[in-house]
Amino acid sequence: MTPAAPASSLLVPDARTQARNRAEARFRLYGLAAVSAAILMLAVLMGSILSNGLSAFRQSYITIPVTLDAATLDKAGTRDPSGLRQVSATAYGKLIARNLQAALAAKGIATDGLKPKDIAALLSEDAGARLRNMVLADPGLIGRTIDADLLASGRVDGFLKGRVTEESAAKDSKIKPAQLTLVSAMKGAGMIGLRLNPAFLTAPDASEKRPEAAGLGVAIIGSAYMMIVVLALSLPIGVAAAVYLEEFAPRNRFTDLIEVNISNLAAVPSIVFGILGLAAFINFAHLPRSAPLVGGLVLTLMTLPRIIIPARAALKAVPPSIRDAALGIGASRMQTVLHHVLPLAAPGILTGMIIGLAQALGETAPLLLIGMVAFVRDYPGLPPAGLADPATALPVQIYNWTQRADPAFVERASGAIIVLLVFLMLMNGAAILLRRRFERRW
Amino acid sequence: MNDLRLTERDLDNRTARMTARKVQVHYGQNHALKDVDVDILDKTVTAFIGPSGCGKSTFLRCLNRMNDTIAACRVEGQITLEGEDIYDRRVDPVQLRAKVGMVFQKPNPFPKSIYDNVAYGPRIHGLARNRAELDEVVEKSLRRAALWAEVKDRLHAPGTGLSGGQQQRLCIARAVATEPEVLLMDEPCSALDPIATAQVEELIDELRENFSVVIVTHSMQQAARVSQKTAFFHMGHLVEHGDTAQIFTNPRDPRTESYITGRIG
Ligand SMILES: Nc1ncnc2c1ncn2[C@@H]1O[C@H](COP(=O)(O)OP(=O)(O)OP(=O)(O)O)[C@@H](O)[C@H]1O
Ligand SMILES: [Mg+2]
Repeated sequence: MTPAAPASSLLVPDARTQARNRAEARFRLYGLAAVSAAILMLAVLMGSILSNGLSAFRQSYITIPVTLDAATLDKAGTRDPSGLRQVSATAYGKLIARNLQAALAAKGIATDGLKPKDIAALLSEDAGARLRNMVLADPGLIGRTIDADLLASGRVDGFLKGRVTEESAAKDSKIKPAQLTLVSAMKGAGMIGLRLNPAFLTAPDASEKRPEAAGLGVAIIGSAYMMIVVLALSLPIGVAAAVYLEEFAPRNRFTDLIEVNISNLAAVPSIVFGILGLAAFINFAHLPRSAPLVGGLVLTLMTLPRIIIPARAALKAVPPSIRDAALGIGASRMQTVLHHVLPLAAPGILTGMIIGLAQALGETAPLLLIGMVAFVRDYPGLPPAGLADPATALPVQIYNWTQRADPAFVERASGAIIVLLVFLMLMNGAAILLRRRFERRW
Repeated sequence: MNDLRLTERDLDNRTARMTARKVQVHYGQNHALKDVDVDILDKTVTAFIGPSGCGKSTFLRCLNRMNDTIAACRVEGQITLEGEDIYDRRVDPVQLRAKVGMVFQKPNPFPKSIYDNVAYGPRIHGLARNRAELDEVVEKSLRRAALWAEVKDRLHAPGTGLSGGQQQRLCIARAVATEPEVLLMDEPCSALDPIATAQVEELIDELRENFSVVIVTHSMQQAARVSQKTAFFHMGHLVEHGDTAQIFTNPRDPRTESYITGRIG
């Protein structure tokens, strides 16, 4: 007789159960660790971008009364626009410099040891040009004294933002410690300060020498134009291709070949599409360089396979019984697709579309090859003609600014990254919204 | 027995609406139907019975060319509707399916409202001139499918939110809304309770006044109750085909007898 096995109680977990529970707890811990690591890295990334880039949205301005002296700005005294245009930005620059000296004297701020040239250097080279534009837009200002906000130079801006210090200035050929002392005094007198800088989003790029004036205007327009081209071409072509392949095409070697090729194209590095675009659109078709049209075409080539694949997956996910139901009551294949299959697949197709667009928006390499890296100061015109005007794109502008020597451009590049990320988030938000809307129809 | 003889009598003067001759169906290498000859008579309910996998659904799908959508499926032989070969090259299957409607084995309502489900067929075939007419068609179809009372207050709720049996009746309503000449029903009652089943059977009986109905069923009682003609399929062969009364009371083939008495299948 063997002793009866001890009755197992549900209240005491046995060894196997305990081991299983431990394994489960470990597994959960791994998962939690992985998610935490990802969140941490994201936080570090966002933290560094925000801390470097947020200051790009604020800019230093020197506020002084400026007398728009008619004798200098309008010698003829006729306020004739063509005559006013004869006066160069440099002349405006000199006028501002004189006014700055006068303002400093009026406030009783000492400028010992600084030459007039050093005082003028506190202002951006762009300040004169901006004032000139203001006067040309409103000639009535001539002869009056206005309170003008004048763009400060990049080094002065850096000093107010803490990037430039007395020590760094000692080694810097572009600014002297004495100038910084003067800036501190001006700050005490309320003549200079940081304020919101919408020009960062609207102004065109500026040269190496004036980072304070550089903006994203042309790049944002260029990127927007390219997205218009990509959307207008790849949505209809991509959806039509996906619908044809999924719903109408016979299954044979030829369609198999097409399928394999689409999958391969989705994996082709984007720079290859740049080379293709250079050869096909610029060298062969003679489309202009640096144009958003060409950029959009190249990005369309790159985006198409990346749209077709998720669109086909979305179509495949529609249950076949729905197709049977529609065909069974005498709907044509076209009606079946348009009335039943496409609406059900639309959320998936749209999500794929927007993710494809977002990838295209962040793409840099192919655009470098078709010349969108050029320095462009003129805004492109309105579409459709403007699509062929030279422009840059957001990611290329970021790349461009990171290549420049002046550290002020690092701040600009980070600011541009923030702008790019905001656009991407808006697009993803739109994807989620659209999906919700369509899904609410069940 | 009395009613059965009655139905037998008025069968004689009915013509064949659909005929099938020497129909062969292959799914790739699988020879699913072999030499099937059947007539679907006008104003008659024909029941297809037979064990699972014997080819009842396959044959049903041949009758409205739903097999066209299956790439591997090959149909040979001749099937006619009103004397015209439905596999003729000039026949548009879309037009055919408007005349030969179908209710599938699994309920498959569109993910749209109940109203839109029923109205879809009339809309695409232009059967209603205006909204009021469409409303009328929808109501009539839902009443015929014994669903009206349950859904009349929520016509604009999604059809997919109904119970399984209600969904099947919705599919029946959707199929009858286009007024087909022949209605093919693949186990329409497999998801229904006895009350709904009785209602659907009543509907089938009513439809017989205007259409031909073909019903696939695993219930011998149902076949005996609703049909006038019965065809017994076994392993791709049409074993026996004749008047329901004769098949159930006096089968000629031993396989039929063992099936209806529950020994095979
Ligand atoms: N789409 C298909 N592709 C390949 N073979 C199929 C397909 N549909 C059915 N078959 C085959 O054809 C044969 C008949 O199937 P069918 O669906 O007609 O049976 P059934 O009589 O309707 O069975 P059940 O009563 O279970 O519905 C089976 O052997 C099945 O495997
Ligand atoms: Mg079946």
